[in-house]
Amino acid sequence: MMSSFLFRAMDARAGLFLAIMAAVIILVPACNLLLPEGSTFHVPNYAVTLMGKYLTYALLALAVDLVWGYCGILSLGHAAFFALGGYAMGMYLMRQIGTRGVYGDPILPDFMVFLNWGELPWYWYGFDMFWFAALMVLLVPGVLAFVFGWFAFRSRVTGVYLSIITQALTYALLLAFFRNDMGFGGNNGLTDFKDILGFDIQADTTRAGLFAASGLALVLCFLICRAITRSKLGKVLVAVRDAESRTRFLGYRVEHYKLFVWTLSAMMAGIAGALYVPQVGIINPGEFAPANSIEVVIWVAVGGRGTLVGAVLGAVLVNFAKTWFTAALPDIWLFALGGLFVVVTLFLPKGIVGIVSQGWTALRQRKISEDYEAGSDEPPSQAPQSPASPANVSPKTSSSTLPADAEPQPAE
Amino acid sequence: MSLMRSFLLLLSLAASLLATPALAQSDAATLRPLINELAKGKYSETEKQIGALVATGDPQVAPALEALSDGDLYARKADGEVFIIKKAGKAYTLIDPLTMETAGEASKREIKKIKVNNSLRRVIRSALGSLTLMAPDPAVRMAAAEAIFKAKDPDGIEALDAAIAAEADDGVRKKMEEARAAAVLNSDMDEAAKLQAVSTLGTMGNRDALSRLIAVQSSSEGALREAATTEITKIEKSIAAWDAAQNIWYGLSLGSVLLLAAIGLAITFGVMGVINMAHGEMVMIGAYVTFVVQEFIRSSAPGLFEYSLFIALPLAFLTSGLVGVAIERGVIRWLYGRPLETLLATWGISLVLQQAVRSIFGPTNREVGNPDWMSGAFEIGQMTITYNRMWIIVFAMLVFAGLMLVLKKTPFGLYTRAVTQNRRMAASMGIRTPWIDALTFGLGSGIAGIAGVALSQIDNVSPNLGQGYIIDSFMVVVFGGVGNLWGTLVGAMTLGVVNKFLEPYAGAVLGKIFVLVFIILFIQKRPRGLFALKGRAVEA
Amino acid sequence: MKKTFAKLALAGLMASTIAGGAFAEDDTIKVGILHSLSGTMAISETTLKDAMLMLIEEQNKKGGLLGKKLEAVVVDPASDWPLFAEKARELIEVNGVDAVFGCWTSVSRKSVLPVFEELNSLLFYPVQYEGEESQRNVFYTGAAPNQQAIPAVDYLMNEEGVERWVLAGTDYVYPRTTNKILEAYLKSKGVADEDIMINYTPFGHSDWQTIVSDIKTFGSAGKKTAVVSTINGDANVPFYKELGNAGIKAEDIPVVAFSVGEEELAGLDTAPLVGHLAAWNYFQSADTEANAEFIDAWHAYIGDDNRVTNDPMEAHFIGFNMWVEAVEKAGTTDPDAVIDAIVGVSVPNLTGGYSAMMPNHHITKPVLIGEIQDDGQFETVWETSGLVVGDAWSDYLEGSKDLISDWRAPLSCGNFNTVTGKCGGSGS
Repeated sequence: MMSSFLFRAMDARAGLFLAIMAAVIILVPACNLLLPEGSTFHVPNYAVTLMGKYLTYALLALAVDLVWGYCGILSLGHAAFFALGGYAMGMYLMRQIGTRGVYGDPILPDFMVFLNWGELPWYWYGFDMFWFAALMVLLVPGVLAFVFGWFAFRSRVTGVYLSIITQALTYALLLAFFRNDMGFGGNNGLTDFKDILGFDIQADTTRAGLFAASGLALVLCFLICRAITRSKLGKVLVAVRDAESRTRFLGYRVEHYKLFVWTLSAMMAGIAGALYVPQVGIINPGEFAPANSIEVVIWVAVGGRGTLVGAVLGAVLVNFAKTWFTAALPDIWLFALGGLFVVVTLFLPKGIVGIVSQGWTALRQRKISEDYEAGSDEPPSQAPQSPASPANVSPKTSSSTLPADAEPQPAE
Repeated sequence: MSLMRSFLLLLSLAASLLATPALAQSDAATLRPLINELAKGKYSETEKQIGALVATGDPQVAPALEALSDGDLYARKADGEVFIIKKAGKAYTLIDPLTMETAGEASKREIKKIKVNNSLRRVIRSALGSLTLMAPDPAVRMAAAEAIFKAKDPDGIEALDAAIAAEADDGVRKKMEEARAAAVLNSDMDEAAKLQAVSTLGTMGNRDALSRLIAVQSSSEGALREAATTEITKIEKSIAAWDAAQNIWYGLSLGSVLLLAAIGLAITFGVMGVINMAHGEMVMIGAYVTFVVQEFIRSSAPGLFEYSLFIALPLAFLTSGLVGVAIERGVIRWLYGRPLETLLATWGISLVLQQAVRSIFGPTNREVGNPDWMSGAFEIGQMTITYNRMWIIVFAMLVFAGLMLVLKKTPFGLYTRAVTQNRRMAASMGIRTPWIDALTFGLGSGIAGIAGVALSQIDNVSPNLGQGYIIDSFMVVVFGGVGNLWGTLVGAMTLGVVNKFLEPYAGAVLGKIFVLVFIILFIQKRPRGLFALKGRAVEA
Repeated sequence: MKKTFAKLALAGLMASTIAGGAFAEDDTIKVGILHSLSGTMAISETTLKDAMLMLIEEQNKKGGLLGKKLEAVVVDPASDWPLFAEKARELIEVNGVDAVFGCWTSVSRKSVLPVFEELNSLLFYPVQYEGEESQRNVFYTGAAPNQQAIPAVDYLMNEEGVERWVLAGTDYVYPRTTNKILEAYLKSKGVADEDIMINYTPFGHSDWQTIVSDIKTFGSAGKKTAVVSTINGDANVPFYKELGNAGIKAEDIPVVAFSVGEEELAGLDTAPLVGHLAAWNYFQSADTEANAEFIDAWHAYIGDDNRVTNDPMEAHFIGFNMWVEAVEKAGTTDPDAVIDAIVGVSVPNLTGGYSAMMPNHHITKPVLIGEIQDDGQFETVWETSGLVVGDAWSDYLEGSKDLISDWRAPLSCGNFNTVTGKCGGSGS
């Protein structure tokens, strides 16, 4: 069962992606640790953390693509789940500092000491244990997303209304975490981490390990997303995206589908945040900024919405551009970045992946119909008996290889 | 302001010179050395010298003191003579503080400013008060009485008594009596006089009176204390009622700021369906137009400064509007039917616009001045109403009404509504939809621009100006109901008032969080906002 | 997907080529400038970038340092705090800079601290801050709370006779800590609880009606009242505008601010604000030869005679000169040598005295209280008779009163506990 589940997640593109990821996960740490500094192939420490950061961003983009690309929920608040996961991890790392803080208090983090907090607030209990923190990384964003989604989807809040209230959610959290009274370090957030699971956080090996962990998490989540989108569940999601009312009238409990994928996506974002924090060394309320959430959506759009691989590609590309521009053109880099977004939307409406696959479209299309006529057991996209495929959607648009063709249909 | 005051002072001076030889008139020969003394020594000595000047009781010293308080009194380094200085560019004109005649010019290096600090200014204020109580202009006398009220200087009682006896204007006399009461409470007069004073303050009934009474309450005992306590309770009760009114006012004022920021978005986003992330930048452009207009006026036509905002309004509308049309023609028209992609493109545009403004005007705040009619405040009962807030409320309402008229009563408005409701049919009827799109987007952007003119009066004018308003604007439009201008109006006002009622209890931060949570919950209840569009247009 | 790989390869390539470049050009000494040029902090930080470029240019005119030219490396951390850490790492590892001048907000400093510690480089931090920190690789050239807040409160108490206090601030660590210190200090001077009002607002707060009216109410209790404002840069303009319009005059309720300098006032019509106060270690109006020179150089460099100078610029001026002197003293830019050499280095400041680097990596400064004038400048109304030594650990906070910092051998500790006699804070 499991193997067929995973097997379904594979196709040429996914295979290529996985192969590259495997190479990156093995080669980058290896080239960093094993090769001497002078070597041409040596990857500097700087690049390892940087790429590690890109990978966590890619995972966040993947989570957004799952809900936006496949289910039509445009979340402008996913950075909130990312940041919550990050805070959960940050709290664990804070507790690990112990007496090595500047005040040397064994229990209280530094910011609590100098603001004269008497004792640890209750919600900090348990975070000294990794398993508890790891659980919270999943649970806190998950529960928040579940509660939020439970209300929102049942009330049939859709389209821009949903987008704007997700924005309101992350903005409210931003303001809340800015408050020093909340006990999360206010604007400074959590920083000055020492070690994780007993390993020195600044050691090269730990960095390489975190990089590999980020890569693995990305691969794992990619496989999960892939499996979901290619299953019957995935077809229903696409149906919800393309014609929500119709799907509902066909008898599907749309809100349950949405809620499931929404919560799952939030948990993935949480994992991304948890991996992000030890690599950049700080988590603070700035991560909740509404602009960050919008940027994530832009990564996905640049890469190609509804393609999973595109989300990863977009996140890495845009962030690489940002890194490069901020150093090379510090005074005018916003022109370049802003221009990039406009150009991509105007000239690459399906993102980079869309453009790349356009060339193959005709070829693949022919192959698909051949397979279909031959009655293949492994229908690439559309089973004739699937009730999830709206009748008016042509095989072309419902094919998951080309979902970017199906334009978002905001309900307004 | 200060020019005007000096002028009035001069008038009063001339009049009192003619009218009252009652106080010993000292001549210039005795006053001049006293004034020159001001240049010597530290603050504490300056204070004594001011005292000596005031002790002459001669209103002739008023201009010198006034200038000292304004920081316009300088000493000539060569001979220690003190002059009032008028700056005109790099030239400094010396004016004799007694005769008010020009006494030549000096360069910056030849003169030295006489330093003044807050406590000196306070001393001068109360001194000027007792010197100008008899001025012919009621406004000057009023100011003098207020100054004495604030200074509560028992030495002023005598002068006040004389002034009250001679006063013809009821309002000014009342103020003088209040000032006298404050001074009496600060003196060692008998209890009967003080009780009388307490009841005078009680009828006055505002915060200033309350402040005096609390001081009396804590420093006295017996009947006086009791009388003070009764009056305090009375005043506090009336103030509490006024506080609620004040809060509503604050709420309306915040609401009208939100309305101004959001109303342009209600068109580009609400009517046209473009998720316009560059909306805030349109507001910013309007604010910068105001800055440019004011700079231009300052350098070439300073007399027009009072009208700068009226000049800026059409220019801001045109500039932002044209930028809007350019954006629509250049980018957005390719994206109709893909509203979420307009989000991405306009986000990119907003980054570019911000950086453009930063490159042209620099990253720092720019100074946009308030014209006089936008400065200051007046009081209704115990409520303080600042002029700029009041005009912004009026302005927001006018903009709203104007926009409503344009959309409902003009052919252009008709076309706009037709195109947004059913593009194809409108096109079939002969409407040139592309032009209507461009003009509608231009209208929304232009209105954002004139909102920028208003916001420049209360907020920073910096490249980040727009960012601060974009989220709030979206909240307002969505809360009110997309596509409905009335919804935007009601939404903005509701959010403003709710925010201001929460703020005193929860603090500014928590208040805002509660409002956001409230919006989230509200949208669950009414998924299409306060005023939902009904009918087929909804699903189209 | 191919592109992913290509990009990764490119990233590595770029990194290595730039690093290679850095080693190839050995005839320059590189100086990193880490100030936000975009985002919310660009308002304040861009000026500091320009000031640094000017200082470096002037040093090069004087013949550079150790016979080499200085080369500025500018990056934009875009007001994004994690990006500060990333950019700091890039400056040190990829560009090979020998010292970094930068950061403004506390959180950006906290974000880069571990990087400087790990890579053992130097950071000069030019902004007044909350104290409670002393790090081996960081030099704090801005004011600690005892060099700004406490003298200001003393001034108000003694010269203006203030008895009732509003501590208003933006809700972040600097105002929180400063207000904690001030509250403890005021109470130690016998101020009662009900005479202190503390209020926090969010960043960029723009609607001050309620708070200004609260201040007015609080001020009408019959005692002389003052506002101690730690409101952050951007929110000040609407705050002062509201204050001016509500008719709160400096003679009645003076406001003393710690984050409002010439640059912030440049965005305001200051006529209604005359007499409100600010406490700094430098004002542009300082009447000294060195300052006049600095202002002229600045105007010439920036090409605009209306641009103002401010306290953090002076801090960079001092910090840069200290670094130059220490490098010359040590004969190398090696961080360890510079860290040893710089303690005790003393350079002229712009207010007519000398500032010295202390063993706790803070510097000595005069404290000036100035009143706002109608031309947007401050006029000094009071100053400390001598220089004040920056105190890393406040004596008025429970957790830090026993801590001292001394980076000279043999102590070499940033948080030495004088009670337990151990390095490493106040805990067990």
